[in-house]
Amino acid sequence: MIEIKGLVVRYKTVEFKFDDYKFKKNMISIISGRNGTGKTTLLKSLSSLIEYEGNIKVNGEITYNSQEPILFNRSTYENIVYPLRIRNLDLNLYKEKIDKYTRVLSIDHLLNENALKLSSGEKMKVSIIRSIIFNPDIVLLDEPTTHLDLESIVELTTLIKELKNELTFIIVSHNSSFVEELKDEEYRLGGNHVYS
Amino acid sequence: MIIESTMKAVELLFSFDSEIYTIIFLSLAISLLATATASFFGTILGILISISDFKLKRFTKKIVFTFMGIPPVVMGLVVLLLITGPFDGMNLLFTKSAMYIAQTLLVLPIIVGNIIISSEKTQKKILETATTLGANKYHKITLLIKEIKPFILMSVILGFSRALSEVGAVMLVGGNIKNDTRVMTTYIALNNSMGEYSMSIAMGIILLLIAFVLHTLLARFRGDFYD
Repeated sequence: MIEIKGLVVRYKTVEFKFDDYKFKKNMISIISGRNGTGKTTLLKSLSSLIEYEGNIKVNGEITYNSQEPILFNRSTYENIVYPLRIRNLDLNLYKEKIDKYTRVLSIDHLLNENALKLSSGEKMKVSIIRSIIFNPDIVLLDEPTTHLDLESIVELTTLIKELKNELTFIIVSHNSSFVEELKDEEYRLGGNHVYS
Repeated sequence: MIIESTMKAVELLFSFDSEIYTIIFLSLAISLLATATASFFGTILGILISISDFKLKRFTKKIVFTFMGIPPVVMGLVVLLLITGPFDGMNLLFTKSAMYIAQTLLVLPIIVGNIIISSEKTQKKILETATTLGANKYHKITLLIKEIKPFILMSVILGFSRALSEVGAVMLVGGNIKNDTRVMTTYIALNNSMGEYSMSIAMGIILLLIAFVLHTLLARFRGDFYD
């Protein structure tokens, strides 16, 4: 699904070298490692947001959800359907899905609210739903539990488990119970970065 | 003397003197037209400069920021030299068209510069997010315009304020001709030099009222954005 070979990323003042790895389809892969080992850098490279050397072979559409959710100045609903609108997809066909995801993550009552006025946790939930609503093949989640309370983490775990057969997840998280609950495979980083 | 002149000014305003209202109308019309033109081109230019990577980007931005503070009289001089030099055949000197051109050129860098500043602040994260959601260049530009809309409106209001309140450029290229190219600011300057303070104060009151309305709108847009 995603294969990395000889990947080197120079980001700001650090050079990261990543071991070769193959992320498999319909698996939940966890990228682990201590602070500063390049987890976010790797996710950004996989989604081509930053330049890199080496090979990244991606099979399918990929989307990256950052650890600080960036929402647009419009309603929660309009944020969620943004990827559908830009693909000219019929929103009616996604109504059921939107209802389901927003209900599972307990934000169904916020659909008409301006997304910029939501709490950090609610913003994260909107951002995650927006990342999965258009059925990408691979979803990269960077610290998705950062702003979430315990109940919300359970809700998110349920949703990801439900979607596991349809999507491939690659997740960076320091929340050990969340990771243990979801992990199919683990790609551990560490030691291969040099400060210039 | 101030109180006496102010009383006279209020009387003048309520006498509905046709000359005064023609001047007010002309000022608003030229400034609005110049701001609209500068806003249209300025928004496109500002966004293109901020999202594109090109060799002379930093230099271009420096030029834009320098022109944001150009004294109106200097801009007037540049336009005057152009319309009496290479474009002499177009007979633009001392016309409303010349005033419109000078004001448009004066407002353009203000709009472009403000849009570059606001767009660069927010664009990176927004564009990155849009990219990961599958947006193409057209989607990204339209998204960015929508996201920085409050800043665009603020830039337009600042530009209009600048156009309406400047005197140097319109005086040089318009000539302050009675019933033709005379606007509020040149009218104030003329009456002031003749010691007709009540006339100047009357126009000053109108300008202040317009400034008040504009800045109330400005505060509202700011509030909408930061709430």
